[in-house]
Amino acid sequence: MTRYILFRILWLIIVLLVVSFITFSLMHLVPGGPWDKTKTLAPQVVEALNKKYGLDKPFFAQFGDFLWNILHGDLGVSYTLQDRSVTSIILQGLPKTATLGVIAFILAILIGIPFGMAAALKQNSIIDYLSVIFSTIFASIPGFVLGILLIIIFSVELHWLPTGGWGSVQQIIMPAFALATLPAAFIARITRSSTLEVMRQDYVRTAQAMGIKQRVILVRHILRNALIPVVTMAGPELAFLVSGSFIIENLFSIPGIGRMFVNGVFARDYGLIMGSVLFYGFVVAGLNLVVDILYGVIDPRIRYD
Amino acid sequence: MVKKILTIFFSLVIIASLVIFPSCSSAPSGPQELTVNIAGEPAQIDPNRASWSTERTVIMQVFEGLLGFKQDLSLEAVGATEIPTVDNDGISADGKTYTFKLNEDVTWSDGVKVTANNYVYSIKRLFDPTNAAEYASFYFDIVGGEAYYSSSDQDATAQAALKAAIGVRAVDTYTLEIKLVNARPTFLQLMALWPVYPVREDIITQYGATWTEPPHYIGNGPFLMTEWVHSDHITLVKNPNYWGEKAKLDTLTLNMITDANALFAAYQNNEVDIAGVPAGTEKTVMADTVLGPQILRYAELTTFAFQFNVEVAPFTNKNLRKALNAAIDREAFINNVRGGVGQPAYSWIPPGMPGYDANLGLDYHFSATKAQEFLTAAGYTNGSEVPELHLQYADTGINPTIAQFIQQQVKVNLNIDVVIEPMERAAFTQAVNAEQYSWAWYGWGADYPDPDNWLPQLFGTGAGNNHTNYSSAEFDSLCAQAAIQLDNAQRLALYAQAQALVVNDAPVLFMFYRERFVLVKPNVKGLKYTGMDGDVAGDMFFANVWIEN
Repeated sequence: MTRYILFRILWLIIVLLVVSFITFSLMHLVPGGPWDKTKTLAPQVVEALNKKYGLDKPFFAQFGDFLWNILHGDLGVSYTLQDRSVTSIILQGLPKTATLGVIAFILAILIGIPFGMAAALKQNSIIDYLSVIFSTIFASIPGFVLGILLIIIFSVELHWLPTGGWGSVQQIIMPAFALATLPAAFIARITRSSTLEVMRQDYVRTAQAMGIKQRVILVRHILRNALIPVVTMAGPELAFLVSGSFIIENLFSIPGIGRMFVNGVFARDYGLIMGSVLFYGFVVAGLNLVVDILYGVIDPRIRYD
Repeated sequence: MVKKILTIFFSLVIIASLVIFPSCSSAPSGPQELTVNIAGEPAQIDPNRASWSTERTVIMQVFEGLLGFKQDLSLEAVGATEIPTVDNDGISADGKTYTFKLNEDVTWSDGVKVTANNYVYSIKRLFDPTNAAEYASFYFDIVGGEAYYSSSDQDATAQAALKAAIGVRAVDTYTLEIKLVNARPTFLQLMALWPVYPVREDIITQYGATWTEPPHYIGNGPFLMTEWVHSDHITLVKNPNYWGEKAKLDTLTLNMITDANALFAAYQNNEVDIAGVPAGTEKTVMADTVLGPQILRYAELTTFAFQFNVEVAPFTNKNLRKALNAAIDREAFINNVRGGVGQPAYSWIPPGMPGYDANLGLDYHFSATKAQEFLTAAGYTNGSEVPELHLQYADTGINPTIAQFIQQQVKVNLNIDVVIEPMERAAFTQAVNAEQYSWAWYGWGADYPDPDNWLPQLFGTGAGNNHTNYSSAEFDSLCAQAAIQLDNAQRLALYAQAQALVVNDAPVLFMFYRERFVLVKPNVKGLKYTGMDGDVAGDMFFANVWIEN
């Protein structure tokens, strides 16, 4: 197990290196640079800016500088938020994005799993149909449409909740819900189908034939096995939620990293793009590793030795 | 009859009360808190380095310069005792030396006096190559400024010498002298802009890049910053030590909502007091019984147009460019595409600025017949003979609709096919800046209200912002004369001739003058707006605003 984890961590470093290099190359290949503004800057100004941010150096020297700084724990500087380091921007935005993501994730689990289970256990009943209808609807409504609807109903019409911002519980309710609906719908559907599949397994029928209480069968035999596909999906889903959603953060004015990253791409903020990509790569690869380890915990058949 | 008498009586009572107690309504009472929205997190709020309107909105509350703009955009002395003129010995006869007498009452928010040395430090810092200040190039007329700014390859000794050679010095504690390479008639306007506001050397030295965070962000303006929650909001409070008339507001909060729909909702939920409306909803808002009366709209010093790359065929043909100018129904454009907001443009300099001339571009008022005449003059009997035109735009906001409108107008009125080419925003900007485009949407807003900022920079041969590749020896000569002409009437006359040339040569398709369209809560009083406001309507004079409770 330890060897497996160490091996995976080594791979993670290689993956991050490759990701950085591809991003770095693409960034420089894409037309438009950080100093391309609608009001053209004087050539002397562009020269001074290039010098200040090391963009006057050759391509590989710039990439070398980037790696050297990473080794020293420095993700570089932002070009658009000029007095702040990428590390400080991520550290400032991450807790907000992560809090929102984790709340949305818990919400998605709390809504998705019970609905999916209920639908499977009462297959072809009214509960099943309602569950399928709602999960289809919520899976098809884009987050920004749902977000706007929530704002119009609860802020503009009812004046119950603030339209956005960060700092109070009231401000988290709408964005967390808007963010949770899509994964909740997916989780419900996956839970339903995998539960249906597990319920038809021989070991479940055997347990039923042995007269074991239905509740015990449900928790010990069905739920545990039905959740494997859900966990597979939950890992990347959590990574996605924690890395932030530009649309939700933008709509609800949440000072998180999702919005910052997308704005960084639009503005060709090389510093912010590189720092964020590296960070995202780390989060996604890291969470995948966690999921793989979790398989072993849930499913005794999976071993890494 | 009785009703009539009563009406007259009550009207008289109301008029009398207004005459007798004019100040009643202006005495602020109750909480004086204004919440507005800026377009997002400012890049930084360092006066020397700032360039965007978001940054300006913050800086203008906390700092002020030697000179400032009045509501009519004429200059007024703020940190100086008077505006330098040749008569008061503030400007030398050759127009190259400016002497500012500082108002000795002006203090920083921590009580320290503002001195000439603060300005000397600020101006030299503006040219510091390591700061890479974006607006520094506006001030390259100051002796030695450009040399120091471009000195990053030189060693420390050489740089120190260049810095020392910059033509700005404190004659005494309260007298500042600035020397220019050339006479620059618009120099006083530049001295009213944020890059040359004073900054504190002791604070910047002590705190480095974090000096712009409260409580180190010490300014000399009517507000001071107490809180900056990054990407969320900035809180400003009244500066109790402000030397002049203190702000009426106790608190001014700058939110950072970036989504137009969310901002509109926040306004309706009473979270912000001033807000724009989402593009396309203008007419609905005008018709709304509650929101309609809260609309504030006024002309901005911003012109939108399509620029032609005059080196790319068929835009090399002047008469074709003129035909296109006459073929667009700008009234319909404003009415259908811009929600009825804006004024049609037939020339370059917008109304409200010296140099605007309503009599220019009369040939470009929409007329399919006129357009056809120009097309004939261009050498085409029918538009179908004209090669397909390619129109590029940044694929954001309502730009696609704008492009489709033009495509349709040109087809219907001239029978010319237009291919519209959406591009990613930064890629589009680069293509335009590198002149790798044929026909592109663009706008220009005033940095300062003078033709000097509107003509030579955009239409001068090889000028930094000339992306049409337009080149006219006559235009260049007129602008060169105007640039150093100290007599204002003669100077404006020269620019008038220059603008007439541009309009006649039509390197751009003039479209519209932008209008600001915002909602203001009825209890916000004393808002003074100008065509050059930053991110928020009235942000140049927030110190005068009060809340009627």
